[in-house]
Amino acid sequence: MVYLTKDEERALDGEYGWAIQVAMRILVKLGDLFKADRLIPIHSAHISGVSYKTLGDAATEFLEELAASGVKVKAPATLNPAAFDLERPQLMRLTEHRLNAQKRILRLYEDLGVKQTLSCTPYYISKPPRNVHLSWAESSAVVYANSVLGSWTNREGGPSALASAIIGATPNYGMHRPEEREGKVMVTVDADLRSEEKFGVLGIHLGKVLGDEIPVIQGLKSPKERELKQLGAALASSGMVSRFILSQKSSSLPQEKISVGERDLKNSLSDISSEVEKPDLVFIGCPHCSYSEIKEIASILYGKKVREDVRLWVCTSRHVKRTSKEYVEIIERAGGKVLCDTCIIVSWIEELGIDSLLTNSAKTAYYAPNMNRVEVSLASLRECVEKACES
Amino acid sequence: MKKIILKGRPIVEGKARGKALVSSTPLNLLKGVDVNTGRIIEEGHDLRGTVVTGKILCFPHGRGSTVGSYTLYTLAKRGRAPKAIVNELADPVVVVGAIIGSIPMVDHIDLTKIRSSDIVEVDGEAGTVTVFRRM
Repeated sequence: MVYLTKDEERALDGEYGWAIQVAMRILVKLGDLFKADRLIPIHSAHISGVSYKTLGDAATEFLEELAASGVKVKAPATLNPAAFDLERPQLMRLTEHRLNAQKRILRLYEDLGVKQTLSCTPYYISKPPRNVHLSWAESSAVVYANSVLGSWTNREGGPSALASAIIGATPNYGMHRPEEREGKVMVTVDADLRSEEKFGVLGIHLGKVLGDEIPVIQGLKSPKERELKQLGAALASSGMVSRFILSQKSSSLPQEKISVGERDLKNSLSDISSEVEKPDLVFIGCPHCSYSEIKEIASILYGKKVREDVRLWVCTSRHVKRTSKEYVEIIERAGGKVLCDTCIIVSWIEELGIDSLLTNSAKTAYYAPNMNRVEVSLASLRECVEKACES
Repeated sequence: MKKIILKGRPIVEGKARGKALVSSTPLNLLKGVDVNTGRIIEEGHDLRGTVVTGKILCFPHGRGSTVGSYTLYTLAKRGRAPKAIVNELADPVVVVGAIIGSIPMVDHIDLTKIRSSDIVEVDGEAGTVTVFRRM
């Protein structure tokens, strides 16, 4: 049973109103289910279930009732991407109905006091400190937080992250407990991972093999931040992993061992990537681009032109777009588009006459064939951008 | 009339009695259920085409997007929800949905012991499922 303070008990009994009660019930039930001992305060919440495409009509009524109660989030809370760029709604050519439904969802979250960050990389907007507890949905951000930032979060869903934001706490189980954050499987990588998309392919492979077991990964030669971002996003797509650990000098390395070679990666690559002769869309920004990725895209594009018959879309947060303005201008002058607030997976790109895409994101390659009914080919950021310009 | 009492784990309080609708397939609440009609629309699901409204809905566990929880809330709002939910193993998506939809729920139940159209009584406090079957 989850131990509750007097005040938390009052919340559960409904003394602070329906909204607080229902949020508290969610946390206490989940806590009971996963054998949490108590609720712990969180530094921030990150809420998924924002795009009208993934949310549908069902959620809107719940959000409406919450907002109507006047409740506000207690912990700082951020939002995942929506179905279109707020400043360029025409680009996604949404129907009037979808446009209004999406705007209504955003208004409701705003009424609840949630920040309209509309990004899957909240850590580029405000980086949480090490060792703080978070309640984050969006699996790629969860793995990034636990593995790269050293913050602590379970893999929340949209509703539980929202409940945590309202209460300002999360049940203490899983990734919030040191003993459950330890590596369970020793993974030795014997393959040449030259660029970020290869890290993604490794993630897809490991996700399938590991299920939800935390790997300790050996054999990655000083990986870059963006490569780890791709690894984590992919790992969370094909599996339920919440964290990876890079080779440690700890004396207690896990007993279970697996190795990954070139052949494994080749198989996983052919599972998610097909030959695309001429992509309709070249897409960079899953997860959303960092400042340094925007800068690199601009440096490749400098002095070049994107071909007339292909779209080059770069997705990032509004915050990063603002801070990398000079590079954004270079990208857009070359014919690319830098989109904010959205990503192609949670929009209806398949209705824009896009049948095939080229991307550096293994997560996109994993989801897009189903979510968007498009063919996907995987390549490095540099190859993707160069392909968009080739005559 | 034969009476079988199955002891499970209480998840969401409340009592309900009704006809069982039993599936051996995990259910995707987001993509799999039409919130307007309560009909199961998931491709390839063994209950596809049946309506959950007013039934004791028995399935192994949920699957798919976490925002599927909201489906149970909206079904309840529209008077289209099942009367109770019985799972083999409760997962967060279904649990949160049952809480916000105020739908009694029990898990840790062997679903092979229940057949569709059995009359079933669910007690969400005691964590029991009582099956009434005509002999």
